[in-house]
Amino acid sequence: MSNTILVGMADFKVGKTPDKLMTAGLGSCIGVCIYDLQSQVGGMAHIMLPSSGDNMKGNAAKYADSCIELLLKDLYRLGANRIRLKAKMAGGAQMFSFTGKTPLLKIGERNAEAVEQELKKAGIPLLAYDIGGTFGRTINFNIKTGDLHIKTISHGEKVI
Amino acid sequence: MEISAIRLEALKEIGNIGSGHAATSLSNMLQTRIDMAVPKVWLVPLERLSEALGQMDAMKTALYLKVEGDAPGKAMFVLSVESAEIIAKKLLYMTAPPEIHIDEMAQSALREVGNILVSSFVIALTEFSGILLQPSTPALAIDMIGAMIDAVLLEEGKVDDSILIIDTKLSGLDEMEGKFLYIPDEGSLDKLLGVFGL
Repeated sequence: MSNTILVGMADFKVGKTPDKLMTAGLGSCIGVCIYDLQSQVGGMAHIMLPSSGDNMKGNAAKYADSCIELLLKDLYRLGANRIRLKAKMAGGAQMFSFTGKTPLLKIGERNAEAVEQELKKAGIPLLAYDIGGTFGRTINFNIKTGDLHIKTISHGEKVI
Repeated sequence: MEISAIRLEALKEIGNIGSGHAATSLSNMLQTRIDMAVPKVWLVPLERLSEALGQMDAMKTALYLKVEGDAPGKAMFVLSVESAEIIAKKLLYMTAPPEIHIDEMAQSALREVGNILVSSFVIALTEFSGILLQPSTPALAIDMIGAMIDAVLLEEGKVDDSILIIDTKLSGLDEMEGKFLYIPDEGSLDKLLGVFGL
């Protein structure tokens, strides 16, 4: 039986075929999927901020750097092979625009860059991404096929 | 972060005072009776935010105002698209509900609703507590609630592991139903509760 595992904000989960992984309502956050098709294992993280920095406290799954590290550990535990790992990501939007305010922290963009950087550091190829815009995304990852299904309200659906 | 039962009660009271005023001004604006539920106070970890907000990819209309001053926070009025259209229709004396996605007049009317709601909330809090607060200009979005809340929470580039939300349900005017949310910033809690000597 196929089972959809829900990933909350600042959260990550791993699974095996036929599991699917899903996170709903990504705004400036990033949903990143890392998977090994041959071992049929995969994981998804819902990352909120670029870097834990020096004063890392609390939930490590909030940050790109510390979360990806944790996700990789769990993937290896499930039998993923480092050299076969691939990644896809989506999210990183700018949701509200304010006028007459100090320049907005482009948190969505910075999140995307941070995740890309962490993947590069870990030597994991980023095969596809759907980043930016001003709209939310719900993503659904099929561990069996490596397909990442992206749903939006006013900008259609796609599979990357 | 943990919160004692007595502090929780005090936060509900803050919700009562502020949202009560907000509900009254909404009622005046729409010339109709508005019902207000007893405020709920949530202290939820980020990963379980859907317990407070419902399905994170449900489409909603949200008005967002940042509250600045001595005890800063974030105020949101979240309602279904239909509810937003009902309000705009009433305010603009329209014969049919507008298409909120594209109708700029309707969007502008709703921003004004956000303005008045949050201003009355803030004025009530200031009168009661003496804490000076100032709302920003309202922003409006129609999208997945999860996506809008994450953008609001991350605006300053940092976020706590748990989020405190004062949540008040407002309803009336046919099927109109909305949630008024107030999210005090991390350091604001002690200031707000200090008013109660807590």
